Amino acid sequence: MIKKSVSLSMALMLVVLSACSQSKGDTNASASQSTESGSQTGVKEAKDPFGKYPETITLTYGKSVDPTDNSLPGGDTPEHNQYSRYILDNLNIDTKVTWQAASGTNYDQKVNLAISSSDLPDALVVKDTQLREMVKAGQLADLTEVFEQYASPAMKNFMEKTGGKSAESVTFDGKMYAIPSIQVQSDGVHEMWIRKDWLDKLGLEPPKTMEDLEKVAKAFVEQDPDGNGKNDTIGISGQQNGSKLYANFLESTNNTFGLDPIFGAYKSYPGYWLKDESGNPVYGSILPETKEALGKLRDFYAQGLIDKEIGIRKSAYEPVVSGKAGIFFAPWWMGYGPLPDAIKNDPKANWQAYLLPLDANGQFNAHMGAPSTLFVVVRKGYEHPEAVVKMLNLLVRDESKFDISVPVGYYPLRVPMSYTDESEYSSKAIKDVLSGAKKPEDFTDPGYKLLAADIQNVTKVKKEPYDNMDISNWDPQADMGTWSRIYSLLVGSSPLEQDYNKVYSLLYSQTKTMESRWSNLKKLEDETFLKIIMGAAPLDDFDKFVSDWKKQGGDKITEEVKEAIQ
Amino acid sequence: MIRDASLRTRLFDWTLVIVLLLIAFLCLLPIWYTLAVSLSEKSAASAGQVWLWPVGFNFNSYEQIMNDGRFFHSFWISIQRVAIGAAITILVTTLMAYPLSRNARDFRLRNVFMWILVFTLLFNGGLIPWYMTVKALGLYNTIWGLVLGGGVPVFNVILIVNYFRNLPKELDEAALVDGAGPWKMLFSIYVPLAVPVLATVTLFTIVYHWNEFFHGLVLTSGQDNYPLQTFIQQLVVVVDASNMTEDQYKRLNELSNQTLNAAKIFIAMIPVLLVYPFLQRFFIHGITLGSVKE
Amino acid sequence: MRNRSFTKHYYFMLLPGFVWLVLISIVPMFGIVIAFEDYNPGQGFFRSEWIGLENFEYMFDLNDTVQIFRNTVFIAVMKIVANLIVPLAFAIMLNELRFTSMKRWIQTLVYLPHFLSWVILSGILLDIFSYTGPVNNLLSVFGVDPILFFARADLFPYIVVGSDVWKEFGFNTIIYLAALTGINPSLYEAASIDGASRLRRIWHVTLPGLRTTIVLLAVLSLGNVLNAGFDQIFNLYNPMLYSTGDIIDTWVYREGLLNMQYGLATAVGLLKSVVSFILIVVSYVLASKFANYRIF
Repeated sequence: MIKKSVSLSMALMLVVLSACSQSKGDTNASASQSTESGSQTGVKEAKDPFGKYPETITLTYGKSVDPTDNSLPGGDTPEHNQYSRYILDNLNIDTKVTWQAASGTNYDQKVNLAISSSDLPDALVVKDTQLREMVKAGQLADLTEVFEQYASPAMKNFMEKTGGKSAESVTFDGKMYAIPSIQVQSDGVHEMWIRKDWLDKLGLEPPKTMEDLEKVAKAFVEQDPDGNGKNDTIGISGQQNGSKLYANFLESTNNTFGLDPIFGAYKSYPGYWLKDESGNPVYGSILPETKEALGKLRDFYAQGLIDKEIGIRKSAYEPVVSGKAGIFFAPWWMGYGPLPDAIKNDPKANWQAYLLPLDANGQFNAHMGAPSTLFVVVRKGYEHPEAVVKMLNLLVRDESKFDISVPVGYYPLRVPMSYTDESEYSSKAIKDVLSGAKKPEDFTDPGYKLLAADIQNVTKVKKEPYDNMDISNWDPQADMGTWSRIYSLLVGSSPLEQDYNKVYSLLYSQTKTMESRWSNLKKLEDETFLKIIMGAAPLDDFDKFVSDWKKQGGDKITEEVKEAIQ
Repeated sequence: MIRDASLRTRLFDWTLVIVLLLIAFLCLLPIWYTLAVSLSEKSAASAGQVWLWPVGFNFNSYEQIMNDGRFFHSFWISIQRVAIGAAITILVTTLMAYPLSRNARDFRLRNVFMWILVFTLLFNGGLIPWYMTVKALGLYNTIWGLVLGGGVPVFNVILIVNYFRNLPKELDEAALVDGAGPWKMLFSIYVPLAVPVLATVTLFTIVYHWNEFFHGLVLTSGQDNYPLQTFIQQLVVVVDASNMTEDQYKRLNELSNQTLNAAKIFIAMIPVLLVYPFLQRFFIHGITLGSVKE
Repeated sequence: MRNRSFTKHYYFMLLPGFVWLVLISIVPMFGIVIAFEDYNPGQGFFRSEWIGLENFEYMFDLNDTVQIFRNTVFIAVMKIVANLIVPLAFAIMLNELRFTSMKRWIQTLVYLPHFLSWVILSGILLDIFSYTGPVNNLLSVFGVDPILFFARADLFPYIVVGSDVWKEFGFNTIIYLAALTGINPSLYEAASIDGASRLRRIWHVTLPGLRTTIVLLAVLSLGNVLNAGFDQIFNLYNPMLYSTGDIIDTWVYREGLLNMQYGLATAVGLLKSVVSFILIVVSYVLASKFANYRIF
């Protein structure tokens, strides 16, 4: 009660003084007017996005952690560390971890348990399906006004740049129920990463077409590119057990080691909602293009060009790290991992990225991700919903200043927030500065939050000639952290500066029937496709899959998608 | 003729010995393999070169574990869980087993109670109601949640019940003549005679509490309260790399540390490996009498 | 009759156990109502929309249901049969062994896998059966091409059963070994005087002596027909293996917790409980009728 009235008085004072005040005199006076929550008094004016609470408030949340991380200095914990202290010092918010779990399945399990038992901490980071379940259950606070009033201009800018897509993903019946992450669009573009040193050794060029790809992969498998005299190399790597063959409309980004671009080369976008010729929605996985792509993949697999253990391997990056793989498909940020370990193993492993293979018309087709895949939600009834907005404001403003020897993932409720074009923009900017075409001072938008530091650091790890990106022209040992970022940008996101065909899903969230049927349809799809590729089922099982899919709810869902996008 | 027969017998014996030894070796294999991996070079292990003998022998993994406070913290929680769990289970199941081992003439509701027990073995409300109940009882995030969360070990109760029922009826008669009440009968006559089955149940309980990981995951708030198997499970579980942000992924690389995980697994196996051979002679006897009525 | 006065004490003895039972096992049974509801966490267990048998109708409508029940029964029945036969064979072999100290050593070793958890063993199995793992290395010596074991839905049930037998056979010999000690030694003597070979003695003396035990164990395992082993399969499977490897328990876990299909998952779980309960009752009746044995 006391806390509530404090925040209310805060809100009122801010209106009057439009500044942060230390006075506590009005607390009692305003307490009597206390209604539902401080932010709903109908005041529309902007509040201080970084306003420090006069008295410490508490916020509980659930945290996903990496069980093997050792970066925290002695005495620090996932709950108490440099980031939680930073928040306490700057905003006077005391963050408490209600529970923590290893990121991935264990964390999801904890979140689902919390949702289904209605036993929620004050705030959480959730996925789309979980967000929907929580909205349906009426568990979430309406953040519409809180966001309107407290979100910093930077954060609002980020949102706007997505063309309303982010806002859409968190709006239900006109109300905003979560703060969406805003990811760089490059997270959703899967490129071809290839061992250029192997290509050079075998006298090959990066494969442009599917035929080239077949040739190169074959050479990688048969001509002993690693020169160890053993027949132990993999042409094209595949995803690990539990990961996806291709990104889909619900999990549309960062599908490492999937085979997305190969589908793209056949204008096939499985897992995406597309428009057919007559303008009606259709599910990409059931189209003939997908069958064609599967047929090719099946052929590749039979020839031994694709990792035998696709979909089964415990760790997909293992063959990359150990220098066995020649090609894999993944987003731009491979410099963060697995490449650091790969070059530790073999400093000459020259991994380069390309927007390849191209389709029959010479075009690269990429399905694009949703700009928001993670969502910060606040429990209904929590006294300070704006605290979450403030924490994220602070993160956006100061992320570049943090000492990242402790991963920023330890920042409470951290979700990625940036301009969607951040990585392409940054890679272009860095190259312009290196070539002398532009000066560091030319880049002034603070929204590109890491760019200034990147420009300053680039020459630490990039050796001359600046326009040659081969691994021999880098000095990773000088500063591995910097190398990770700059290599990811200059090698990983440079290709994205060029034009390519961007294909968006009509929908990036679930419809009503999907809630009950989707997991079964997805199971059917995953199983059928993997079996076709690995030769455990004939290619024509695809047709049976299509009819089963339609019968078992696919048709009904397609109808719903049609309604949803109108 | 006679010589032939003895030769055949000897041949038979030796074939038998070889076959049995092979089978026994097969049972030892995975543990041996884990040990070999844990003592190998990281790169050799991930390349699948290790089989029966360590490649690039070293103790790095074990040194690393010795310096990992979290591992031993979880180890200690598991020890507590096992100790408290075994004590409580033995006490409660023995107390339950005695009345349930009476026949229906002596204790009329005996069959009703027995069927209730079996019923709970098969029917449950599912994970979520169970979780909510345990939480409402205040057991969440306590050692008691781990100890009691699994419910009454019905199998163990049945085991003791059957063992009691197999003890000679004359004992009861004699005790009754002496004027002994049920408490005295239980503790001064039945319990001393039931050492094998009680040892068996103890062993089962120890193994159960030591190996169980799911409750550790669900009923605690995180790593600080994980028992050892939960700690290990989160390391060896297949990680979903999709939908991760860069820095999460970056840190994921550590997970591929196969040799370290093997070392952790091996250390986690040690307590059980140490305990069961000593209880062996009890549990053979205990299981036999507890399950098969002559 | 004097025992009547004991009844009060019996209740006291039962008290702690039943309090525990009620709190942890019986109270949560209110959750069974979810099977008849469109459960909404916001409304809770008793105010969610009541939809009668809709979840059950949907369940029978779903291709998965038939598949998971079929997979479960197939794997479970194979496990039951194999876990009756293999330990029997092993017990007989052990019984024939004349070196007592070696016998004890072997026993200790074969019990070992029983005490290790599937979390640990499955990790080891995945390694051993991997594409470049020891099993494939061994096969290549015999000129067999490497097999991708965990992509072969046709092999998976057998890997599951095989590894389960491997884990449990040693421990399961205990009962047989005990029953073997109960066979009258004079029968063996009589047989050897008649000049019967050892194999014939096994056939004519040992096996008949174990008959009751075998029948009894078979009947008792009826209750497990729908238990194919969650921990084991959960830690071993992948989407390639769903068609033969997805069982009731893994499915319920995925649907009920990871996919938030509460009603459906509870309905399937309930169906499993009911069937298992019927089977237990049947085995109870059979055991008391034919073996004159009361399970509990």
